[in-house]
Amino acid sequence: MKGLHFSILLSILFLGISSCAPEKSGVQKTGTHPDIFPDYVGVTIPEGIAPLNFRIEWDSVRHSELLIENSEGKSLRVRAGKTIKIPLDEWKHLLEVSKGDSLMFHLEVNRNGAWYRFSPFPVYISSDPIDYGLSYRLIAPGYEIYSKMGIYQRSLNSFDQDAIVENTLFQGSCMNCHSFRQTDAENMSLHIRGSQGGTVLLNDGNLKVLDTKTKETLSNCVYPYWHPSGNYIAYSVNKTQQTFHSANPKRIEVFDHASDIVIFDVKRNKLFSCDFLRSGKNMETFPAFSPDGKSLFFCSSKVDTLPLQVKDIRYNLLRIDFDPETGQFGSSVDTLFNAAALDQTVSFPRPSYDGRFIVYTRFNYGNFSIWHPEADLWLYDTQSGTNQPLEALNSNQTESYHSWSSNSRWIVFSSRRVNGLYTMPFIAHIDADGNAGKPFLLPQEDPDFYDMTFYSFNVPEFISQPVNLNLDQLEDAVSNEHIQLRFEEKNN
Amino acid sequence: MLKKISLSGLSSLLLGLVIFLFFGLFYAFHLHYQEQYQLFLFTADYFFERVMQPGGLSNYLGAFFTQFYFYPWIGSFILATLLIFFQRILLGTARNLGAAKNFFVLSFFPVLMYWGLLCDENYLTGGLVAILFVSLSNYLYTFSRSGTVKILFILLGIPLLYLIAGGSVLFFFLFLLIYEVNEKTRSWKFLLLFNLLGVLLILTIPFFLKNRLGMFPPVPSFVGVNYFRFPINFPVIVVVIGFLLVALPFVSKYLSSRQFPFKKSILIVQVIVFLLFGSWFIHRSVDFEREEIMEYDFYVRMRKWEEIIHKAEVKTPQSPLSVTCLNLALGKKGQLGDRMFEFFQKGDEGLIPDFVKDFTIPMVAGEVYYHLGLINTAQRFSFEAMEALPDYQKSVRTIKRLAETSLIKGNYVLSKKYLKILQNTFYYRKWATYLERAMKNEDLINQHPEYGVLRRMKLDRDFFFSDQEKDMMLGIILSEKKSKLVFEYLMAYCLLNKDIQHFVQYFPLGETLPYFTIPRHFQEALVYAWDVSKSEVIKDIPYPINREIQSSLNKYRKVYTSQSNPQSLLRKDFGDTYWYYFHFRN
Repeated sequence: MKGLHFSILLSILFLGISSCAPEKSGVQKTGTHPDIFPDYVGVTIPEGIAPLNFRIEWDSVRHSELLIENSEGKSLRVRAGKTIKIPLDEWKHLLEVSKGDSLMFHLEVNRNGAWYRFSPFPVYISSDPIDYGLSYRLIAPGYEIYSKMGIYQRSLNSFDQDAIVENTLFQGSCMNCHSFRQTDAENMSLHIRGSQGGTVLLNDGNLKVLDTKTKETLSNCVYPYWHPSGNYIAYSVNKTQQTFHSANPKRIEVFDHASDIVIFDVKRNKLFSCDFLRSGKNMETFPAFSPDGKSLFFCSSKVDTLPLQVKDIRYNLLRIDFDPETGQFGSSVDTLFNAAALDQTVSFPRPSYDGRFIVYTRFNYGNFSIWHPEADLWLYDTQSGTNQPLEALNSNQTESYHSWSSNSRWIVFSSRRVNGLYTMPFIAHIDADGNAGKPFLLPQEDPDFYDMTFYSFNVPEFISQPVNLNLDQLEDAVSNEHIQLRFEEKNN
Repeated sequence: MLKKISLSGLSSLLLGLVIFLFFGLFYAFHLHYQEQYQLFLFTADYFFERVMQPGGLSNYLGAFFTQFYFYPWIGSFILATLLIFFQRILLGTARNLGAAKNFFVLSFFPVLMYWGLLCDENYLTGGLVAILFVSLSNYLYTFSRSGTVKILFILLGIPLLYLIAGGSVLFFFLFLLIYEVNEKTRSWKFLLLFNLLGVLLILTIPFFLKNRLGMFPPVPSFVGVNYFRFPINFPVIVVVIGFLLVALPFVSKYLSSRQFPFKKSILIVQVIVFLLFGSWFIHRSVDFEREEIMEYDFYVRMRKWEEIIHKAEVKTPQSPLSVTCLNLALGKKGQLGDRMFEFFQKGDEGLIPDFVKDFTIPMVAGEVYYHLGLINTAQRFSFEAMEALPDYQKSVRTIKRLAETSLIKGNYVLSKKYLKILQNTFYYRKWATYLERAMKNEDLINQHPEYGVLRRMKLDRDFFFSDQEKDMMLGIILSEKKSKLVFEYLMAYCLLNKDIQHFVQYFPLGETLPYFTIPRHFQEALVYAWDVSKSEVIKDIPYPINREIQSSLNKYRKVYTSQSNPQSLLRKDFGDTYWYYFHFRN
């Protein structure tokens, strides 16, 4: 009797399930790729990436079926509604066997009772591996006041995100400029701003908090870049101001009145610089060491208009020799890209770790590219000396901060293309010749995540392993006396 | 029916009714205020984000209740119910301990104190929920005498209650401790084990969970619950209430066991003390001035301009924020130039407040900029107000405003993002869905009585915002868009700053605006300007001036120049003129 009841129950359940997905008859071909969010049509992804869950941007979608298959016929199938969530394990397995191949996404949707079949779209699986994860700051895209924010890390092969540190731990504080030595999570620096503020330095796992303002320098240290040896960090020191547009799609204008570049000697707790990097006639900012550690790239703008006219500020991309053994600078400065001559400006030069390319942000004026919708990413080829826009990565909205993976084959960059305000992290493949694949938005378990979040993804950086910051130690170090840096002039 | 209800039950009902009426009738705008400074979402992410910290469930439930405060009577009902529930639990605990019936009034004291706390808009409902959880746990504890059950209570209760109600768990442990010490039958071994377990759990659990469930400094991390909007402030009075909720049942029990000479009058004494203390405590807790400001602000938020003017006609507002709301209402109804000096004025601070890093002033100032058509600034002020919330909450009012400003600026994708968030709220879901649908029809937005008008106010010429040059900004808007509101604000700005020179200079900017007559205060300023320049006013002044105003000025001048103390003489007949403001106010 019990068996009969069980069979009836099973039959009912089966019928119920069957009725959820209506029979497919007369499937209509749309002849187009589906409109999905995030747009994963034709993107290039690494093998170890989390499932590309997406939402179908059609009204009244009740049911959908997705078949993902590789060229060898290995496939996985998902039945869902408007939102497609791909099972993690099956996805991982499919990617493993599809390295260097492409996957075809066959999507059919049921809308108002009728089935539609979209043209299948490809997703390319690069054979170039990607790092463990990303680190970024989550902050509401605001103005002067900040609420909760923090520095977070996210594993790329899953959806797991952890807070490295949140500003709720140090009430009233702001956190910014997290930076790693070539994706090495054991060597990290970040700034905590506020009454308890300081620069937190994680050096081979050892933690210290620095007071970086000296009487010789303009400000606390700001934009960082680690020397590949881990012995130095180049920082800018900036006198920055912001003002607000009243009738413009742009909201904010952030600009420097003055800025210099200093080098922090990690072992000696000293800052040093040279005349080329502290010229009163120029503003120097956004330093970046070359991967061999023998050059320092930076942006520099003339200060020849007083009072400073914001729209006349234009930065060029420069380079100076640096001797990591002695800490001495070269005797001249090279101009790699004279942006001002083209009525343009540049920010965030980021050399690939193989030394071949420098990606930088190019826009109309100033140095704070995130508030410039026209800001795009450009690629400088150090071999040929040519500059070209990264067309595949750019949009009609802001593309700004960017950084390289440890193998120099992936780049993560922040873009406002989705809604014009909230910065989101996109990842793109760049091959050895500088050809870029179509970027993909960092996948989230729920594709609605980006609609529901209050935060921008700020300063995305690759990390090779998880950051292990001991918060109890950090609290102690922040509340105790900080290490006061001293400044010394090096040479010209 | 009433015969079946005990005296204590009737008293609870009565107190509940008083609390309900108090919040519903006299403190409704405090409830509105609370509601706007949070964003409760019916989403799993919001739930987990809120709950995954010490005391998180109390915060979550507090926010859940607060979302209904948009309807003050529902809010009043919720608060009255929670407070009376608190009282009944306390009473039940005392009775389970053996307290006599005639000591029931004691259980009203902590409730009264929490009611007083809630009169401060910065005390949040989640705190009351946490205290309720602790009281309920204490109450449940009194039902069993089994040692095993007691040990289970302490083993499971402390961790669980810490997660639910944060540091208030201390009052649970204290209650248990006193309870067990009072149990004569307990062996010293049991007491030792019991106390050791309790102390160990109380010390280790918060320590273990610190920075694992949210990252907070030691004290806020232990307290957990947002009793107070400013987490940096330790809620001392809540601690007093916590000790009371622990002690009162035992005190009731102790008093019940004593022989008093006038047993029947004990109840009367309690009632008298309660009424005296209650009146004093509530009186010192309420702040009707703030209630008034919140009322003005709420009317602005709801665009209830006539209610504002009517309220001011009954009692002129005094605080700068209320005056700001009134001036905006006068401007929206086209009465600013005619009536602003009928009311108390607070300089340009009461017209367009300066930006401060705060969550109240920029919210109101942002409303002014919004209606003036400075959408970027309105957006910024509202956003900054939200970000300034010290308890790291988001503001539903701000999110709504951001949806509106994005819509007006034509960024539909961004507007939809905010609307999608609002679609997960209780009250704003319908509005958000309607607006999202409306976006599909551009004409509908363009014809909207508010959004359409503000869209047409969009400026071609950009300029940087400057708090110090508000007149310049208003002038720039006016040079592009002919708006009576902007014109009247510009003129009012000059008048309030007693800047007659710029008033006269800017006045021609309004020449093409559709006025039948020049607003009264502007005429007053014009005749005064020409008068002080020693011109023959009526003859020289290039604007149509009402003869009554001219003769009125003559009378005013006569008194002003001939009397040694003219203010008191002029107040009656000229207190509502610009001249009086110019000479005697501020």
